[in-house]
Amino acid sequence: MLQGALAGLAAGGLYAVIAVCLTLMARLVRVVNFSQVAIGMFAAYLAVIFAEQHLPQWAATAAGVCVGAVVSGLIGWIIAQWLPEAGIGARSAVSVASLLLLVSLSFILFGSKPKTFKSLLPGPAFSVGNVVVTQVTVVMVALALVVAVGCHVLLTKSKIGTKLRALSERPTTAELLGVPAKGLSIAVWVGTGLISAAAVSIVAPTQTNDPISLSFIIVPASAAALLGGFRRLDLAVVGGLALGMLQGALAQFEQMSVLRYWVPFLIIVVFLLWTQRKEVWDVAR
Amino acid sequence: MNELILDDVSVSRGSGPVVSGVSLVVKPGSLLTLVGPNGAGKTSLLESISGIVSTSKGDMSLDGVPLGKLSRIKRSRLGLVHVEQGRTVFPSLTVQENLELTAKSPAGVDEALELFPELHKRRGSASGLLSGGEQQMVVLARAFAARPKYLLIDEMSLGLAPVVFLRLLPIIRHIADSGVGILMVEQFAQLALKIADEAIVVTGGRLTYGGPAEPLMADPALLHRAYLGIAEV
Repeated sequence: MLQGALAGLAAGGLYAVIAVCLTLMARLVRVVNFSQVAIGMFAAYLAVIFAEQHLPQWAATAAGVCVGAVVSGLIGWIIAQWLPEAGIGARSAVSVASLLLLVSLSFILFGSKPKTFKSLLPGPAFSVGNVVVTQVTVVMVALALVVAVGCHVLLTKSKIGTKLRALSERPTTAELLGVPAKGLSIAVWVGTGLISAAAVSIVAPTQTNDPISLSFIIVPASAAALLGGFRRLDLAVVGGLALGMLQGALAQFEQMSVLRYWVPFLIIVVFLLWTQRKEVWDVAR
Repeated sequence: MNELILDDVSVSRGSGPVVSGVSLVVKPGSLLTLVGPNGAGKTSLLESISGIVSTSKGDMSLDGVPLGKLSRIKRSRLGLVHVEQGRTVFPSLTVQENLELTAKSPAGVDEALELFPELHKRRGSASGLLSGGEQQMVVLARAFAARPKYLLIDEMSLGLAPVVFLRLLPIIRHIADSGVGILMVEQFAQLALKIADEAIVVTGGRLTYGGPAEPLMADPALLHRAYLGIAEV
C-alpha cells in the first residue's frame, strides 16, 4: 500500500502543480482554465515531434514547453482583448473551447495513435526498504512545493504581486489607477502555461499517453484546487498530493482499483454540495 | 492649454442617452462640484472621462491631448485619477500596499499618509478590515499618492456618517490647493458647495446650471430651480 501511495505521488505532484496554476488563474484572471492540462499535453506531444527531428530530448522538451507557454498566452490575449469585463462563466467557457480545440488539433497534427514519451528523468531516486521512489516523483513533489511557495512569495512580497492582487480584487479600479490589466493577465497565462507544460512534459512518460486521457487530468487537478476553494495555494498542493497518493493506494487493491477514477468526481460533488448547502437552505425557506 | 475640457459630451447606455451635450472646464488647482438628483447622469459623465464608458458625441481633452479613444491606462498616465463610488480599497492589500500601488516613491506614500495621520498606525492592516471612513481615507490618500493632475471624485459621502464626510472635505480642498484640478460629484450639495470654486448642476442628463458655487450656496431656491431644470445656465 505504501508503494502504491508513493507511486501515486508523481501524479499527485502533477495534480498539485496544475491545481496551483488553476488557483492562480481563478484568483488573478477570473478563469477556471479547463485547458490548463491540454496546453501541457500539446507541449509534450510537440516535444515528441521535435525529438523526432533529431533534437536532443531536453531541447525538444524546452521547445515544446515554450510553444505551450505561447499557446497559453494567445488564449489569454483573446480573453483579455474581447472579454475583459465578462464574468468568470463566460471567460471559463473560452477555456473549454480551447480544451476541445487543442485536443482536436492534437489528433490532426500528431495522429490518433498514442505517442511514446521519452522520460527526462528515468530510474529511481532512492529506496526506503522495499519501496522505490522515482526521480519523477521527487522532482514533481519538489516542483509543486517550489511553484506554490514561489507564487506565494511573488504575490505577497513583490510590487508586481501587489498589482496582481489588486487586479484580482477590483480590475476596473486597478486599471483606473494605471495597473496594466491586459499585460499582467497575459503574463499570468504565459506563466501558468509554462509551468503546466513543464509539469506535464516531466510526468507524461509515466501517465496514459493519448491526448484525451492526458487532457482530462484536469478533473483530479480541479478537485485538488477545489479543496483550496480556488483561493488557497497551500491547500491546493496538499489536496493534489493527497489525491495522488489515495489513487495510488487504491490501485494496489484489485477489487478497488476502479474506484480511483471516481475519487476526484466524488470530491468535486461533495465539495460543491457542502459549499452550496446554505444556498439550498435559503431557497427552500 | 492646461485644462480638462469637455465639449458637448453625450453618453448613451443600454436604455438610451444618459448625458446630453454637457460642456465643462476643470482648471488646475480648482474644485468644480457637480450636483444633481439621482439618475441625472453624474456618474456616467465621470465614467466617460476616465474611459469606463464611451461617449456617443462630443470631444474631451486633457491639457490639450484629445482623450477620444485613449484607453483607461493611457488616461491615467496623463495624470487623470478617478475615485469611484463606494469604498474601492483593495481589501486584502494593507493600507501601505494600497498606497504603494500608485505612489511613485516611498516619499509619496509618506506624503499621502500626512493627509490622514490616523492611517499611520493602521498602515500594516488589511484595508478591508478598516472602518468605512478609514477606507475612504485610504482611497483618497491612494489617489493623492498618484500625484494626479486631475482628480474625479464620485460620491465620496456614500455610506459615510456626515461627521466623517466633513472630515474629508477640507482634505479635498487641500488637494485642490496643491494644484490638482478636481471634479467632484456629490449628493450632499450644500456641504460640497462650501469647498467648491465652481459648480454645475445636471438634471436628466442636461446641464441646468454652470457658474460660481457661491450663488447656489447662498440661494437655495436657485439650487432647487436648477435641480428641477428651470434655472438659467
